[in-house]
Parts: sequence; C-alpha cells; structure tokens
Amino acid sequence: MTRTTIETFSLYKRYGAADVVADLDLSIRPGVTGLLGPNGAGKTTLMRMLATVLAPSDGCMSLLGLNPHVAGERIELRRRLGYMPQEPGFHRQFTAFEFVDYVAILKEMTDARARHREVRRVLERVGLEDLAGRRLRKLSGGMRKRVALAQALLGDPDLLVLDEPSSELDPEQRMRFRELVSELGDSGRTVLVSTHQTDDVAALCERVIVLRDGRATFDGTPAQLAALAAGRVWAAGARDDRAQLSWRTAAGAHRHVGEPPAGAQLVDPTIEDGYLLLAGTAAVAGGATS
Amino acid sequence: MTWHAPLALLERYAAGDLDDIQADSIEAHLPACGQCREEIAGLAGAAIVERSWANVVAELDAPRPGPLESALARAGVPGHIARLLAATPALRLSWLLACALVLGFAVWAAGEREHGAYWFLVLAPLLPLAGVALAYGPDVDPTYEIGLAAPMRSFALLLIRAVAVLATTGVLATIAGLALDGPHWSAAAWLAPSLGLTLASLALATRAVPLLAFGGLATLWIAGTGAGWLWAREPLDLFSPGGQLCFVLLAALAALVLIRNADGFECRGAMT
Repeated sequence: MTRTTIETFSLYKRYGAADVVADLDLSIRPGVTGLLGPNGAGKTTLMRMLATVLAPSDGCMSLLGLNPHVAGERIELRRRLGYMPQEPGFHRQFTAFEFVDYVAILKEMTDARARHREVRRVLERVGLEDLAGRRLRKLSGGMRKRVALAQALLGDPDLLVLDEPSSELDPEQRMRFRELVSELGDSGRTVLVSTHQTDDVAALCERVIVLRDGRATFDGTPAQLAALAAGRVWAAGARDDRAQLSWRTAAGAHRHVGEPPAGAQLVDPTIEDGYLLLAGTAAVAGGATS
Repeated sequence: MTWHAPLALLERYAAGDLDDIQADSIEAHLPACGQCREEIAGLAGAAIVERSWANVVAELDAPRPGPLESALARAGVPGHIARLLAATPALRLSWLLACALVLGFAVWAAGEREHGAYWFLVLAPLLPLAGVALAYGPDVDPTYEIGLAAPMRSFALLLIRAVAVLATTGVLATIAGLALDGPHWSAAAWLAPSLGLTLASLALATRAVPLLAFGGLATLWIAGTGAGWLWAREPLDLFSPGGQLCFVLLAALAALVLIRNADGFECRGAMT
C-alpha cells in the first residue's frame, strides 16, 4: 500500500472567533490531488498551513512523515517542499532567471554553477527558457505565474503545494501545465493543487477534496464527484426556474442542474455539475469555472 | 588570439581530470579559439564535447550582476549573499539617497540653533531602525511567503539584511556626525541608541507584526526624546556615558530575547 504523505488531524485555523479551517482530517498519498471550493472556503489558508508558512491554531500535521511543529523537522521538510502561493510576489527589478536564482539561494543552493544549471532546468520545464533574461515587470501575468511555478520546482521536491497555479495561463500553457503536473504525479511525488478550474481537476487529479466553510464536504475521485449529480442534470429547450442552476450552452440547449424541467432529457453529469450541486450557491458566487 | 592551450592540458580536460579553476580557464578560452576547439573535438567523445559546450554556453549566458551586486562582490561578499542583499529595499540607491538627504538636513539644522546636536542624535538612530523595518517582513518583502517555505532560516536572512542596512546607514550617519558642529563625542553618540532601538524592535518583531513593532518603538523614541527636550534641564544627558550604558544594556537584553525567540520568524502565527 502506498504511504501517506500528507496527514492532518483535527486541524483548525482561527482568526478571532471565525474558524477558517475547522476540524479537518486529511490523509493524502502520492499523486495529484485537487482542492476545490468557493472563495472563502479556506483553501488558501489550508495550503499555507501545508506549506509550513502558517501555523495552525489547533490540531497537528504530518508532512512527508515530518512534524512541522519541530524546528529541525520543519527545515528538513522545507528542503523537500515546493510551494507556489496564490499571489506570488516578485522583486520586479529582477529578471526571471535572477528571481528563480534568488529563490534557489533560499533553498540552500550556494554553488553558483550547479544552481544556475538547476535554474535553467526549471525555467525550461515551464517553457520560459527564452525569456530568462527578461525583467519580471515586463512579463505578462501568465508568464509570471510560470516563473512562480518554476521556483516551486527547484530541487525536484517530493511535495508540491500549488495554489491556483493555472489561473492566468493561456490554453496552450494550461495544457503544458497539465502535462508537467501529471508527470510529477506519475513519478511518485505528492502534488496538491488548489483551483477553481474543475476541468483541470477532471483532467489531472486522481482525487479531489471539496472544502466549504473550512470543512471537507467531499473526498473522493473526480468520477465520484461527477456521480453526485447523476440523475440531476438535464438538457432542455428553455430555461426553467425550478432548476437549481441553469445556463445556455453553445449548442443552444439549456443545461439544468437540479429538478427536471418539463420535456427535459437526462444527460451525463460532469465533475462541475457534481461540484455545483455540492457547493450550492457558494460555488456560483465563488466562480467555479470549467 | 595568440596562444593555445597545451595539448596535455586539453587531454586532461577531455578526461575530466582538471580542477574547477583550470576547467573554467579552458572553458573561457574555447569560445574564442577555433584551433583548441578542433583539438579537443578530436580528443573527446561527442558526449563530453556537448557537456563542455553546455557549460561554456551556461557561463556566457549567466546573468550579469547589477551595480549593487557588483559593488558587493568587489567588497568580497560571496555572490549568493550579494543576490540576497540585492532584493533588500533598504539597500536601494533611492533609500540611501533619502538617508543622506535627511542626515544632511539634520546636520544643517543642528548648526542653526543651540543644542541642535540633540536633534541630530534623535534622528540618526531612526534611520537604521527604519532601514531594518524595510529590509524584511510580510509587508515589505514581496517574496516573504516563498522565502518562509524555503529551508534557509528566515532569521538568518533577516540578520544578513539587517547587518548590511546597519553598515550602510552607519557609514552615512558617521560621515554626517563628523560634520556636526557640537560636542566632540556627539559624532558617535547615536551609535548605542541606534543599536539598542534596532535590536529591541527586532526582539519585539518576534512576537508582533514587524511594522507595528518598528513603528511603535520609533513613536516611543520620538515621544520620549521630545519630552526630554521640553522638560529635562540638560536634554543631551540622554546621550551622556550613563545614557550610552543604558542603551548598550538595552541592546544586550534585546539580543538575548531575539536569540531566544528567533523561531518566531520562521512561520506566521505561533508554530512552536
């Protein structure tokens, strides 16, 4: 049986009286796991705790078998961790190469030649080798996201915590991103991806966890998430107010999630349908997209 | 090109027997010398030629350090430390110019009125304090969170940057102090208060939001010295040998607290 690489036990994060993450028990194995949830569900707070930058208020964690509460184990864990924050900041006067080189130094790579080789490797993996010398302030948002992804890949980490890595990427780059992440997952690493992109989850993840109000409301495979909406997704000629959610598709039909409108045909559910049913109106307000 | 690498040296290079310095020398020579390239191509297999060329290209493509990094390298600072310092806001030219301007103004103002040196001595310790506040932390370092998740201790990064900031502002304040028209000891009397305030603010920052710690201490300092000016018979007594001793003791105490609580910089919230 494959070992567990991320475990949380009754994990809490409180800000004042509010529990942003509450009583969370997770057990995650190597491979790609997706984290879905509406805005404010606690995804980023959880990701930051798993990246060891934010301390939990209560409960405990074991990451790669190490306890981040213990200073020595935390440093060892950080040597094997790659983290891409939701809104990565940059020293904008640096070039892409200089920035990744800067992070490589923080990752204890002090030998210049070996470090530069590693910087080139990760920039190549995200398709930025030709833009390595360009100043960050002159790169587009999508390119800067790829720089942020590149720094997370430094040192070939065993655990990758990626917070909304595919936002701002163009379609071609999203495909390259999927290719890269699936390769990482296949090679025995643990990749945790927080996203609003349900199609990324469907394409990439062996497992998906849905958070709402800081609690896990679903934990299973993407197929199981889609199956939650089995028998509740319909195609009809017109909009029906009884539907929980309804939208016009490119083909001109209306897709309904919820109670069947008159004359509607049952259709196969997608992971997005399951997620929308599970997360309800919070997901719609939070902007889950495919 | 007037010289060529000896054949024996090229043979050792092809066999991978050279140390880094000699290998670097050959790799620096090869791009400009067709004859040596041909020579080595005959000696080495395709794999080693490809690897060597990759190294040559890598060296040629390596980013050229900016003015600050170059200056630090000339001063003997290792390249990786220079890069960490290049990302420090309080070491940018604009900040150093602002410090120089403020100190110049303080020196000018000190010469214009009686006990003017007092205000120079009040102002000078605030500059390193502000510089260290701007050197590291969630509100001023855009890569703070990425840095926290990296294995290098954040406390070490903070110390590296704080020492650099103290050194640069210290040089500026010393130059300004020497231009001061006041008691002969006043040129250096800012040093102990500066050290005491900076270390105390760092010690506070292990338990409080860093900008609040630095701002709170700066406010206290301004309020205290302002009150001293208004009500003390001899305001300059604050910087007398007795006062200096108090600041040294404060610095020592703060250093102890800082070392004890250094882990507070390693994670947001109470990890330990």
